[in-house]
Amino acid sequence: MIARRFHLLSLLSLTLSLGSAGSVFAGQRPISFVNEVLPHLIKAGCAGGNCHAKPEGQNNFKLSVFGYDPAHDYREIVQDGRGRRVFLAAPEESLLVKKAIGAVPHEGGARITRGSGPYELLLAWIRQGVPFEIPGEAKLQSVTLTPREGIYTKSAKQALKVEATFSDGSIQDVTHLTEFLSQNKELAEVDEEGHVTVGTTSGEGVIVARYMGLVDIARITVPADVKLPDAAYAKLPEHNEIDKLVHERHRKLGLLPSGTCSDEEFLRRVSLDLIGMLPPVEITRTFLADTRPDRRERLVNDLLKHPNYADHWAVKWGDLVRPNPSRVGVKPVYLLDDWLRQAFRQNTPYDQMVRDLLTAEGSTHEHGPVALFRDKRDPADMGAFVSQIFLGVRLDCAKCHHHPSEKWGQEDYYSLAAFFAQMKRKGQAISAPISGEVEHWWAGSTGNVTHPVTDAVMVPKPPDGPEMPYVEGQDPRTRLLDWMAASNNPFFAKAIVNRIWADFMGRGIVDPVDDFRASNPPSNEALIDWLANDFASNGFDLQHLMRCIVLSHTYQLSAEPNQHNLADTQNFARFQKRRLTAEVLMDAVADLTGVRDSFQGMAPGSRAVQTWNHKLKSDFLDAFGRPNASQECPCERERKSSVVQALHLMNSSDLQTKLASKEGRVSQLAADATLSEPKLVTEIYLAAYSRLPEAEELQTALRFFTHPGATRQTAAEDLTWALINSAEFVFNH
Amino acid sequence: MASLHSNCAGIKRRDFLQTGMAAVGGLGFTDLLRLRAQAAQARGLASPDQVNCILVWLDGGPSHYETFDPKPDAPQEIRGEFKSIKTNVPGVHFSEVMPNLAKTMDKISIIRSICHKDPNHGGGNHYLMTGAPTPVPVGCGAFVSFHPSFGSMVSHERGVRGGLPAYMSLPQVSRSGGPNFLGAQHAPFVVGGDPNGKGFRVRDVAIPPEITDDRAFTRQQLRESLDNLKRISDQRAEDPTLGFDSFYQQGMELVTSPTAQAAFDISQESDKVRDSYGRNDFGQRLLLARRLVEVGVSFTVAYYGGWDHHRDIFKTMKDKAGPTLDQGLAALINDLHDRGMLDTTLVICLGEFGRTPKVNKDNGRDHWPGAMSVLVAGAGVPGGQVIGATDPKGYYAAENIYSPEDFAVSLYTKLGIDPHQVLHTTTGRPVQLVNGGKPIKELFV
Repeated sequence: MIARRFHLLSLLSLTLSLGSAGSVFAGQRPISFVNEVLPHLIKAGCAGGNCHAKPEGQNNFKLSVFGYDPAHDYREIVQDGRGRRVFLAAPEESLLVKKAIGAVPHEGGARITRGSGPYELLLAWIRQGVPFEIPGEAKLQSVTLTPREGIYTKSAKQALKVEATFSDGSIQDVTHLTEFLSQNKELAEVDEEGHVTVGTTSGEGVIVARYMGLVDIARITVPADVKLPDAAYAKLPEHNEIDKLVHERHRKLGLLPSGTCSDEEFLRRVSLDLIGMLPPVEITRTFLADTRPDRRERLVNDLLKHPNYADHWAVKWGDLVRPNPSRVGVKPVYLLDDWLRQAFRQNTPYDQMVRDLLTAEGSTHEHGPVALFRDKRDPADMGAFVSQIFLGVRLDCAKCHHHPSEKWGQEDYYSLAAFFAQMKRKGQAISAPISGEVEHWWAGSTGNVTHPVTDAVMVPKPPDGPEMPYVEGQDPRTRLLDWMAASNNPFFAKAIVNRIWADFMGRGIVDPVDDFRASNPPSNEALIDWLANDFASNGFDLQHLMRCIVLSHTYQLSAEPNQHNLADTQNFARFQKRRLTAEVLMDAVADLTGVRDSFQGMAPGSRAVQTWNHKLKSDFLDAFGRPNASQECPCERERKSSVVQALHLMNSSDLQTKLASKEGRVSQLAADATLSEPKLVTEIYLAAYSRLPEAEELQTALRFFTHPGATRQTAAEDLTWALINSAEFVFNH
Repeated sequence: MASLHSNCAGIKRRDFLQTGMAAVGGLGFTDLLRLRAQAAQARGLASPDQVNCILVWLDGGPSHYETFDPKPDAPQEIRGEFKSIKTNVPGVHFSEVMPNLAKTMDKISIIRSICHKDPNHGGGNHYLMTGAPTPVPVGCGAFVSFHPSFGSMVSHERGVRGGLPAYMSLPQVSRSGGPNFLGAQHAPFVVGGDPNGKGFRVRDVAIPPEITDDRAFTRQQLRESLDNLKRISDQRAEDPTLGFDSFYQQGMELVTSPTAQAAFDISQESDKVRDSYGRNDFGQRLLLARRLVEVGVSFTVAYYGGWDHHRDIFKTMKDKAGPTLDQGLAALINDLHDRGMLDTTLVICLGEFGRTPKVNKDNGRDHWPGAMSVLVAGAGVPGGQVIGATDPKGYYAAENIYSPEDFAVSLYTKLGIDPHQVLHTTTGRPVQLVNGGKPIKELFV
C-alpha cells in the first residue's frame, strides 16, 4: 500500500547499513524513514500500544501500532503537529528529537540518548530533508530468528540473531532493532539485545522476535536433569493413541506420569466432566461393585446417553455464543439456547452444527441461530467471532493493526469479514433493553467490505485460505463452511479438539484455547494433530472425541504428583484439579441435599445447567462466576476461588435451609430409624464424594452424633455441611 | 504500595506484552504516591491506600437544577418551581429541597462542570461508572460492560482485606458496575434486602442465626479433619486448592472477628443515629455503608434508582427523592465527620448525567449530559468549595470544565491507584485504566 501511495520505484539494489547506525553515515548516506528511522522509533518504544500508538495517540501525536502504516506515521511526524515535530533548518530543535532525548518535558521520559547512534541518525535524516524512502530502496520481506530450535541446559545463555531479508535479496542484521519477548519467563528470559538466559525449570518455551510488524520465533527446550531409563516407560498403560503420544513427550522431557486413579475417583471425575453431575448413590454402588474389566468404558457409554449431557455442554457453548438478552431480545436468546441443547441432544456432527449456526437465515423469533446475526451485525464482528471461536485464531487485533505476534494483518481480518458482507435484514433493529420485535436475516447478493487503510474492496478469503470471490446466487458463507469443514483444514478441527481437551484435562494443548499461533505453539504437536485427524475422519463426532479422551489412560491419571512431574503443568502427566463451575457446583449441592433450587421463570425442579440466561437472579451462580450478561461474548469462565465463594458455602442461609428441609435427603436419612449412624455417614459420603469413608473418617464423622446437644438431624446436617465445605467436594480431582 | 500490580490474574501475559513498552517517565506514579503518602502523613492525613470510598449512584440522572446548581435568575421554564436556599458557606446556594446538605456545604465540594455527550442511560452509566465511554453508541435501555467498573478495579488492586470483599454494592449492582475482563472474582458482593426491615442481615458474612456458636465451632473443627483431599504445597504445581484454603481461612477470620460481625448488625446503632439517616431503605443503606467502611470494605456503592424524572419532577423531588437523598447523605457526611472518618472516606454522589434546562410538557426534565452536579467529600477534598460552573441558565458546563475521565483519574488517585496503568484484556490487548484525563486539581488542594 505504501508502494501504491508513494510511487513504486524500480528495485535497484542499494546497500543499507542498518546495523551500524552511528557516525558512519555522517550525513552522506541517504537515510530512509521506512527502513531506518521508523525501526528506531519502534525500538525506542514510541509506537507502544499504551503510548503514541494508542487509538487516539498520546498528546496529539499518534503512530501506528508496530509501524504497520509507515505512510501514516510519516505524515504524522513530518506534516502534522504544525511542522514543529521536524525542523529542517535546525534539526536539533525538532520536537521529535527534543522529546525523544527528554530535553523538553516528555511523559515517556528520555527514550534515546543524546549523542547516541539513533540520535545522530534522526538528525542526519532531518538534515537530508526527511525522505520517506530512498529511490529504489529494497522493501523488507521477512525476518529470521536464529537459532530456531535449541536444547539447553539450565542457566545456559544464548545470543539470538535476527536478520531481515529485503526484496533485493540483501540481508541485514537487525538484532539491535528487534523487540524480544519470552512466552515463558520462568523457563527463559530474554533481554532487549536478544540475550537469552535459561532459568532453572525444565520444559519448552518460545522466544518471539518482532521487527517492523514481522515476527519469527525460536523454541527453547530444557530437558529435565534426570533422564529416566526407557524401562520406566515400558510398562505404562497405553489405552489408545493419546497415551502413546503423551508418553513420547514425557520421555523427551524426562517426565513420568502419575499412577492410575481409583474407580471411585474415575466415576466422580468423569460424571462431572461429561454430564456435569455427581453420580447418584445407586449408580456409585453398582459401579463400585462391578468387576468387569470394561466397566469404565461401559460407564462412559451410559453417561453419553444421559439427559444431562446436552444441558451440560449447552452451558459451555452458551458462554461462547450467547448474546446479551437485553440487546437482542429474550426470545431470540431463548431459541438459540434451545437450539444448542437440541444439537447436543442429537449429537449433531460438529461441522453440521457449526454450518447450521453460521449459515442461519430467517426470523429471530423462530430460528435460534439467527440471534447471532442480530447480535453481530457488523460483518467484521462476525468474522472475528468466527475466527476466535471456530478457528482458534484471535484476529481481533488485526482489526486495527498487525497482530503483535503473528502474521495476521488487516487484509486477513477484513477478507474474512467479507463472507458476511452480503447479509440482509428486515424488521426491528436493536432496541435495547427489549428488542421484542422480529428481525429477519438472509444472504443477499450485494454488499462488500473495504480495507480501512487502502479502501480496497475485499474478496472473501479465510485466513491462510484461497480467495473465494462472490458468485451470483451463491451464499458466500457456504463456501467458508466448506473450507472450514474440509478434513485438511488447518484450524477447524484443531480448535475444537483443543477446547474439548481442555474441558477434560484442565488445560489446552494450545493454551489459551482460542489462541493458536506460531508464537504460542501446542505443548504436544503430534497429539493435537492426531486428535484433529481422528475427529475429522470420524465424522466430526463430538462424542467419539470425548470417549477417546476420557478412556485414555492420560485422563485416568491420579491428581497426586510424583517427583518426576511435580513441577509440570503443561504435559498432562497428572490430573489437574479444578473447581467445579458455578452451575455444576450448584446442581451438586442440590443433588446432595435433595432440594432443588428455583429459578425465576423456569419450571420447578429445573437444574442450574438448564438456565439459559445469565440475568436470572442467583447469588450462588454470581459467587462462583458465570459470565456477566451485560458483557460481550465469548466469555471466559473464572475458575479461581474467592472469599465470596468461601463465605457463601459457609454461611448461606439458603444452604442451611436445604440441609434442614424436611423433604431433603439429610432429614430423610436422619429420620430413617433402620439406618445405623455409621450407615448414615456412609450414605452421605457416597452422595458427596462417591466413595466410602475411610475408617478414620468414619470415626471423626461419628463425633458429630455424640456432641452434646446433637441429634441425628443436626449431626447429619453438620456432616453434610462439612463435606460441602471441603475441597474434595468443590473440586474435580 | 505493594498491592499495585501484585494480584493480577495474568502476570505472565502482562509481562510479555509490556516488554518494549517499559517504564514510562522518570518519576513514576508509584513515586508520586509515595511522596503523596509521606506528605499526607506529615499533615496527619491518611495514606491513599487506606482511603475507602462510598459511591452513591443516583440511577437515571438527577437534575442539577433541583439539587446543587439552582438557577434562580433563569426564566421560569428553566428555573422550575423551587427556590434556591443559602448553604452554610456564603455565596453558595442549593435547591430548596436540599436543606440538610446545604448545612453540610462546609464539608463538601460540589463539581458543577463535569459533562459529556452521551444522553443515553446505557452509555452514561458506563461512562460514569467506569471512566470509559462505550466504544460504540448504546441505547438507553442497554446494560453494557466494556471496561472494568471503579469498584471492580479497586477490588483488583486491593484484594481481600480482613476477609471482606473489597467491592460491595447495595442493594443491587448498577448497569455497568461489573468487572469486565478483570474476572468474576472482582464482581461486587451484592447485599440485597432492605436494611430498614426488621431482622435485616448482610448475607453470608455471619453464621446463620439458627446455628449456635457451639455448633458452628464443631462444624468447623470436623470440617478441617474431614477435608482430606491431598494438597500439593510446592508452588510450581499450581494446585488450585491452596487458593481455596487461603480464602476459606480469610472467610473464617471474618466470621470469627467480633468487630467485623458487629459491623454487619445495623440494629446495634442507636435509634437516634438510625433516625438521622432516615428510616427508609436508602438512608439505612448509607448507614450500613458507613459500617462496612469501618471494617475495611474498600468500595461500597449505594445504588438509588428512579432518578429518570421525565415527569412530575417537582412533586417527586419535594415528596420523596429529594428529602430521602438530602437527609441520608447529609447524615452520612456528618456522621463520618463526627467519627473522624471523613479523612479516610471518599464520599461521591452522582448519576449518569444532568437534566434538560427547559421543563417539559409533563412537568419533567429529560436527559442532559451537557451539565451535571457531582458531590464529593472526604479523603482530603476541601469543604465549602464549588468547582466550575455552568452558564447562567445551566445549559452547559462553562468554567473549569472536566470530563468523566478527569473524574475517574481523581477517584483512582484519591484511592492510591495509578489511573494510567495498563491492563490487559483476556485476549492480551493492552488497555489504559483511564484513557487520558487529569486530576481535578481543586480536589487535591
